[in-house]
Amino acid sequence: MTALLSLWRNTFVRRVLEAALTLVGVSVLTFAVLRVLPGDQITASYGIEAGALSPDQLASLRAYYGIDRPLVAQYFSWLGGVLTGNLGVATQSQQDVLDMTLRALPITMELAVLSIVVALLLGVPGGLLAASRAGALRDNGSQLLSLLALSVPTFLVATALSSWLANRFGYNPNGEEFATLLRDPALNLQQMALPALTLGVSIAAPVFQTTRASVLAIRDEDYIRTARAKGVPPRRLQARHVLRNALIPVVTISGLQFGFLLGGAVVIEQIFSIPGIGRQVLLGMTQKEYAVVQSTVLVIAVLFVLVNLLTDVVYRLVDPQARAQ
Amino acid sequence: MSATTTAVGVPARAPRGGALRAALLRPAGVVGLLLGAVVLVLAVMGIFGLTPYDPAKQDVTQSLVGPSGQHWFGTDQFGRDVFSRVCSGLANSLRIAVVSVGISGVLGILIGVLAGYYGGWVDRVVGVLTNVLFAFPSLLLALALAATLDRSWVTVSIAIATVYLPIFARVARAPVLRLRHVDYVTASTAIGRPRLSTLFAHVVPNMWGILLVQVTLSLSWSILTEAALSFLGFGTPPPAASLGGMVYDAQTISAVAPWMLAFPGLAIVVFVVGLNLLGDALRSTLDPRSGGRR
Amino acid sequence: MVRRMPAGPTRAVLATAVVGALALAGCSGGSGGSGSGGGEGKDRLVFGITADPTQTIPWLSTSTQSIQVLSQVYSTLLNSGDNLETVAGLADLPEVSEDGLTYTFKLKDGVKFANGSALDSTDVKYTFDTIMNPETKATSASYFASVASVDAPDPKTVVVKLKSPDASFTTALANVNTSIVPSDVPVESLTTTPVGSGPYVWDTRTPNQSITLKVNPDYYQGRPGYQSLQFRILGDEKAMVSALQSGAVDMAIFDNPVTAKTATSGKVKVTPVDQLSYHVLQLRADAPALKDVNVRLAIQCAIDRKQVLDTAALGAGEVTGPITSPAYKSNPDARPCPTRDVAKAKDYLAKAGKSGGVSINLITSQGLYSTAVNEAQNIQAQLKEAGIDVKLETLDSDGYVQRWLKGDFDSAIALNGGSTDPNTMYARYFTSKGSFNKVAGYRSDALDKLFADGIATRDENARKVIYTQVSKELEDNAVWIWTYTGKLFVATSTGTSGFKARTGADLGTLWKAAPAK
Repeated sequence: MTALLSLWRNTFVRRVLEAALTLVGVSVLTFAVLRVLPGDQITASYGIEAGALSPDQLASLRAYYGIDRPLVAQYFSWLGGVLTGNLGVATQSQQDVLDMTLRALPITMELAVLSIVVALLLGVPGGLLAASRAGALRDNGSQLLSLLALSVPTFLVATALSSWLANRFGYNPNGEEFATLLRDPALNLQQMALPALTLGVSIAAPVFQTTRASVLAIRDEDYIRTARAKGVPPRRLQARHVLRNALIPVVTISGLQFGFLLGGAVVIEQIFSIPGIGRQVLLGMTQKEYAVVQSTVLVIAVLFVLVNLLTDVVYRLVDPQARAQ
Repeated sequence: MSATTTAVGVPARAPRGGALRAALLRPAGVVGLLLGAVVLVLAVMGIFGLTPYDPAKQDVTQSLVGPSGQHWFGTDQFGRDVFSRVCSGLANSLRIAVVSVGISGVLGILIGVLAGYYGGWVDRVVGVLTNVLFAFPSLLLALALAATLDRSWVTVSIAIATVYLPIFARVARAPVLRLRHVDYVTASTAIGRPRLSTLFAHVVPNMWGILLVQVTLSLSWSILTEAALSFLGFGTPPPAASLGGMVYDAQTISAVAPWMLAFPGLAIVVFVVGLNLLGDALRSTLDPRSGGRR
Repeated sequence: MVRRMPAGPTRAVLATAVVGALALAGCSGGSGGSGSGGGEGKDRLVFGITADPTQTIPWLSTSTQSIQVLSQVYSTLLNSGDNLETVAGLADLPEVSEDGLTYTFKLKDGVKFANGSALDSTDVKYTFDTIMNPETKATSASYFASVASVDAPDPKTVVVKLKSPDASFTTALANVNTSIVPSDVPVESLTTTPVGSGPYVWDTRTPNQSITLKVNPDYYQGRPGYQSLQFRILGDEKAMVSALQSGAVDMAIFDNPVTAKTATSGKVKVTPVDQLSYHVLQLRADAPALKDVNVRLAIQCAIDRKQVLDTAALGAGEVTGPITSPAYKSNPDARPCPTRDVAKAKDYLAKAGKSGGVSINLITSQGLYSTAVNEAQNIQAQLKEAGIDVKLETLDSDGYVQRWLKGDFDSAIALNGGSTDPNTMYARYFTSKGSFNKVAGYRSDALDKLFADGIATRDENARKVIYTQVSKELEDNAVWIWTYTGKLFVATSTGTSGFKARTGADLGTLWKAAPAK
């Protein structure tokens, strides 16, 4: 009993330690990437007019932005701030990065959830249908559809679709001011519809493939054959054994995709003017708002780690083998 | 680390006797092979300069001409032949796809297999490193790399490779973990075969199926990623033709010259569909479970 | 021109580049103040922009978007007329002393800031002194280079003394960068809440989504036509066109002729206007490869400018010489090889002893403005035919700006800002003490003298002669290869009227825009 407990604690401690190391790694990588990128806050905000600044002015600007100090000092003073809950301030708009992130994050989360829902609604039934008669017309047909979904650059279709709707029907919810779900749910859902559909369709393809593949694989497993031989009714077999086990990889892949989506679907957020977290980072990068990028990426990484852990927990819950280990 | 046991047990439903033939008998296989062949022919034309026109040659007297017998896909505002540019763009995309998937595949699989096989601290270090790359927004990583290094197709390939490397590592690691404890592997080690040799004799060949899925997926993703990078203005720099770049350039002008957007866009779709279908067929052939089933 | 555009590659003239145009941050910023009847209440004018204004302090603002927004919040001492001539603003046109050293301004009566305090001469003195203070880091400080002192003898009078005559001085006072700020508000708070005396008053801001202004009923030029004015940030030009079509946005400015064409419909009217900014192939005579004037002349002769214009901007614009200021415009045909002459280009190369060909690098940017890469590609192809090999380097906007500032290139594709005053346009580049002389890579005693003479006199005719000389000097030495001036396209919904689009598409008359009857 005690041994088991200590083992659990050991695993737990290891997990947390690994997560912490991951986050440190991400923060160092972000920091390094930003410093390596050409340009700094001065060229980003003054453009070529930076050339008209005197050396004194340049020096005082560097001090103002805090980029005159050694890199290591810059890193640790930022990290120190983050550890005490201060994510820094966007130098140009004078906004607190924490506030910015708290506004952007729910939007990205909403988009991610909607996209995953779309993907599951399309992918899982599709996969089951295809697997129900492998090689049949419906299998080939849905495989082809999923191939197309994988192959068409969705951002192109999305732009084309939205500009067609605007020109033909004057319908363009994304041209309006962005409405949050709480403020104006009707408008918000309209603004989210196209982006979520676009993302959802492209994620549906891997969900479909995974569902189909794992249903097919599991139906071949010994215990299913045994159950079938023992005369378990096909319906029950399907529901109790095949589905349950087949969905494990689907959970995993959905979790992974969800994690990626939390990082912000940059291109889609860009096209549809969705003020999510991906745009916050991209914007920060172009404006060289170091604090914004560093803190936001760290927040994304924390979420990613959390989602991973959660997926793991769910996975352990549904997969008895993993639970046993 | 639960992840990506997903691909284990990939279908492989080919009937006995010549998976390739079986694959080719399926309509998908035929279509895939046809599309793949078309794309390959065009790409080869692009690589060896066998296109009807020099893809970089400008002729302003022929600017913005619609598709015709002379210019099958029309011309752009510089009077360059769009067909020739699509060919050389295909070659470019193919090159980027192969190089980026090559780099990420070889390195990723190696890292993943070693991590899975040795376990312990090696595994943990690799786990943390891949997690770092995973948790870092991937497109931004690519953007940052493309913006930092001198821009060329090589940079773009490296940027894309960096994004896919951790995926390969993970996909390769999971089955190794599982296969490590499979009876014949344990047995092989027990009868005195060195561990590494066992690894490559038994474990790695068993992963081909899974890895092939990943390779085909990554190939098509990398083409789309190149397009997306170009869409954000960080793709292969002009005047070299790239499919993504052509689409990016044509975005506004397509209102007056739709062929400039349509043909490169179509080329991307055909290329990726072809690749995926071809990958499907190949997978059926090479998957040891389909080949070796009794 | 209301604003004197920074004479350098202008930051994203409504750049088509997606990367440049971004939005972040979520929900409402407590947007209680916007149009009463919801989005459709037509007492609100929505102006679409593709990037969030980066700066909100007038003397620090360089981006097109910042200038557009601030021009509605602040007022300048002088304004620009319809032909970009300098006219009265907060003050009447100044009385200038005989020696051209003392300028006396009389302020208008009853002008108030948004915070209720009266705008008087102390505010003007405070603003100008602040700009001239090196601690302020104002990019507009250079406009005041020749100012000795600013005095406020009484609340309605401002007296500016110059160290030496400067004919370009008054142009600067019509520039948004020299807008008058209140002396009783700390500068830091202006960053978040600008306080000006413009037609509209700062209301709310949701970063990277929108900036909403409300009407200033006491505006000194008259009552503005809308209850509120919103600058809305959209992803890119495509999104902007869609927003215009659906009526979500009432006005926007494009730099791309095709976009402008797609935007035109029964509901949207598009007016093309000229620009003072010019497209140019900057050569650096300081670079070893281009030291020899004959090599530069070879490049000059090898380029068909019309072709550059046609391929890069689909013909929307005009071939130009160096000076674009309407009163001093250079004649584009007064240059060596006004039409392309490849044989002559080869002769020049031979004269330089380089008949075997020359190789130079060329930097261009993807993301600063839409035509840059296309110009580079066409110029590369044209030069190749004359035996000049161009190594093209496409950089992202920051990478480009950095290389450009360092002067780390042989040649560069640039879109540089113009001005109504030629001294403002070029003194910074081509006088040996100019802040961008290193970037320009060329200087001569002749040019130094010409520029000095040019601001020493206020006599229009004498100045015209001098700047024609400057133009000739620049072209004969093929210092740079000036190609063309583009067009801007002002898209306005038919539901609004009163705005007068003029050269440079400044927003000086936006306050007159009102719902169409």
